[in-house]
Amino acid sequence: MRRTGPGPHILAYALAALVMVYASYLLPRMLPGDFVSAMYSSSHVTLSAAQEQELRSYYTGRDGFVWYLKDLVTFEWGYSYAFLSPISRLILQALPWTLLLMGSAHILSMVAGFFAGVEAAWRRGSTTEKSGVGLMTVLQGIPEIGTGVILLMVFAFYLGWFPAAGGETAYAEFSGLERATDILKHLALPFTTLFLAYLPGNFLLTRAGMAMILKKQYLETARAKGLPPMRVRYAHAARNALLPMVTRFGLRIAFMVTGALIIETIYSYPGLGTLLFNAISQRDLPLVQGIVLFSSLAILLINLALESAYGFLDPRVRYAS
Amino acid sequence: MHLNAAKRLARDPWFIAGAGISGLIILFLASSPLLVVHDPHDMDFIPFSPPSAEHWLGVNDGGMDIFSELMAGMKNTLHFGLLTGLVCLIIGACAGLFSAWFRGIPDLIIMRLSDVFLAVPAVMVLILVAAFFRPSPFYLALVLAALSWPTIAKVIRAQTLVVKAGMHIHSSRQMGASGLYVIRRHLMPELYPLYLIGFVSKARMAMFMEVSLSFLGLLDPGRKSLGMMINYALRYYYLDIWWSWLLPPVICLTLLIMGVTFLALSLEKIFDPRLKEIM
Repeated sequence: MRRTGPGPHILAYALAALVMVYASYLLPRMLPGDFVSAMYSSSHVTLSAAQEQELRSYYTGRDGFVWYLKDLVTFEWGYSYAFLSPISRLILQALPWTLLLMGSAHILSMVAGFFAGVEAAWRRGSTTEKSGVGLMTVLQGIPEIGTGVILLMVFAFYLGWFPAAGGETAYAEFSGLERATDILKHLALPFTTLFLAYLPGNFLLTRAGMAMILKKQYLETARAKGLPPMRVRYAHAARNALLPMVTRFGLRIAFMVTGALIIETIYSYPGLGTLLFNAISQRDLPLVQGIVLFSSLAILLINLALESAYGFLDPRVRYAS
Repeated sequence: MHLNAAKRLARDPWFIAGAGISGLIILFLASSPLLVVHDPHDMDFIPFSPPSAEHWLGVNDGGMDIFSELMAGMKNTLHFGLLTGLVCLIIGACAGLFSAWFRGIPDLIIMRLSDVFLAVPAVMVLILVAAFFRPSPFYLALVLAALSWPTIAKVIRAQTLVVKAGMHIHSSRQMGASGLYVIRRHLMPELYPLYLIGFVSKARMAMFMEVSLSFLGLLDPGRKSLGMMINYALRYYYLDIWWSWLLPPVICLTLLIMGVTFLALSLEKIFDPRLKEIM
C-alpha cells in the first residue's frame, strides 16, 4: 500500500511505544496462575528452590507499572535463567552483530536499488529496463528463507567457499586485519541473502517514483537551461524519488527485521535473531520479552528519526507546517 | 476507475503468471485427498527413510511421511494468509468507509488510531503473544489482522473521499437515496479494486509471517507448517536430506509467495490510480 506525505505524527510514535511497553508489562501478568509457575512449568530450565524463591519475590515484590518503567529505563531488564546472564548484557552483546548485518544489507541495497531504479526509469521502454523490472519482480517473490537455504546449500555445503555458521571463527586468535576478513567471510552469505531480499523493494519503488517525476515540467525547464544530463537526472529528478523510499521505510522495517530474524537463525549468526530463537526454544520468557521490547523501541526510534529526516529532505513539508 | 480493468488484467503477463502459479497450487492442494495416502501425524514409519514409491519424499526424523506433511503445511499457510487478509479487509474497509462518510470527530479518532497501529511493529506483538500464550493460529491471525488494517483503511478512506465528491453521488442524494443505499450501491462497488489489492497484499504478508513464526518455533509444534519443516530439516543438514526434505518446502513456499506477489504487483499496477498514468 502506498502512502502520501509524511507518516504518523510524533504523538502516534509515543503512544505506540507506550502500547508496546504496557503490553510487555501486562501480558505476563495475564497468564493463568502465578507468573513464575506458568513461565517455568513448560520450560526446560530447572530451578532450584532458592532460585524459584528469588524469582517469585522479584516478580511479586516490585509489582506495578511505575516500577516496571523504572527498571526499563535503568536497564534492569531481569535475568535470563537459560543463559545465566542479565538480559541487558545479552542484548547488548548481540546487538552489534545485528546492526552490522542489517545495517550493511540495508544501506547497500538502498544505494544499489536507488541508482539502478533511477537508471532504469531513465531508459523507459528499453530492454534493459524491462529485464531489470522482470528480474526484480521475480526476486521480490522469493522469500528470505528460500534464498537463505539455497545459498547455504550451494556456497557453504556444496562448494564450501564460506563458513556455514557463526559470526567469526570461535577461539581463533587473529590480528586486526585477519579478524576483519574472518568477520567479512562469515558475513558474506547472510548479507547476500538480506541484500537480495531488500533490493527489489528499493528498486521498484525508486523506479515507480522516478517514472512519475519524469513527466514533470521542471525537468523540461532544467534541460532547456542546458544543464548536463547527470545533473538533471540526479539533482532535479532523483532527489524527489528518494522521498517515497523514506516514507515507505517505516512500513517496511518491521518486515526487514522479521527477515533478519530468520536469516540469522539459518546461519546461526550471533545477533538478536539467533538470541531470540534460542530464548524461544528454551522457553526463556523474560529474555523473549526483553528482546521484543528492545527491538520494538528501536524500530519506533528509527521511524521517528526518519520522520524528522523527511521534513529535512522535503522542504515542502517543512514550510507547510 | 476499472472499466476495462478485467481485460487489461488478462493481458498483463505478471497477472497471468501469478494467477497461473496460484491456480496450480490450489489445484495441487485440492487434489490432496487423492495424492496423500498417509496421515501427516502418523509416526509409524522408519525415520530417515529415503524417497520411495510408498513415501514420495521419504520419512522425517520423527517417522512421519514428508509429502503428507508438505501438503498439510501448505494448506495451513494458505489458510492463515486468506483468513488474515479477509479479516484485515473487513476491518479496514469498514473503518475507511465510516471515516470518510462521517468525517468530523469519528474520522479524526479512527485516523489517529490507525497512525498508532501503523507505528506498532506487528511482528513484535505477534512474537510476544505467541510466546506467552501459545494461542491457536486462528487467534494469531485475528491479532495480526487487528494490527494491520490501517493501511487498507487509509487507502479506502482516501478513495472514498474522491468518489463521494462525484456528481453521481450528489444526484443520487438529490433523488432521496439514503446514506446506506449510496454506500452500498455506489461507493462499495466502485472501491472493489482496492479491496482486491488490500486483500492480496495482506494475505501475502500474513503467509510470510506464518512461515516466519513457525520457523522460529512459536506456533503449535503439532500443527504442520512449512516454516517448521524447514527448521527441522536444517538440523540434519549433514545427512543426505537436501533434495527430499529441505528443498520441497522451500520450493513450495517460494512458489506460494511468488504467485501472490505477482498478483499483488499486477493489481497495484493496473488499478492504483496514482500509478495508472505512468504504466
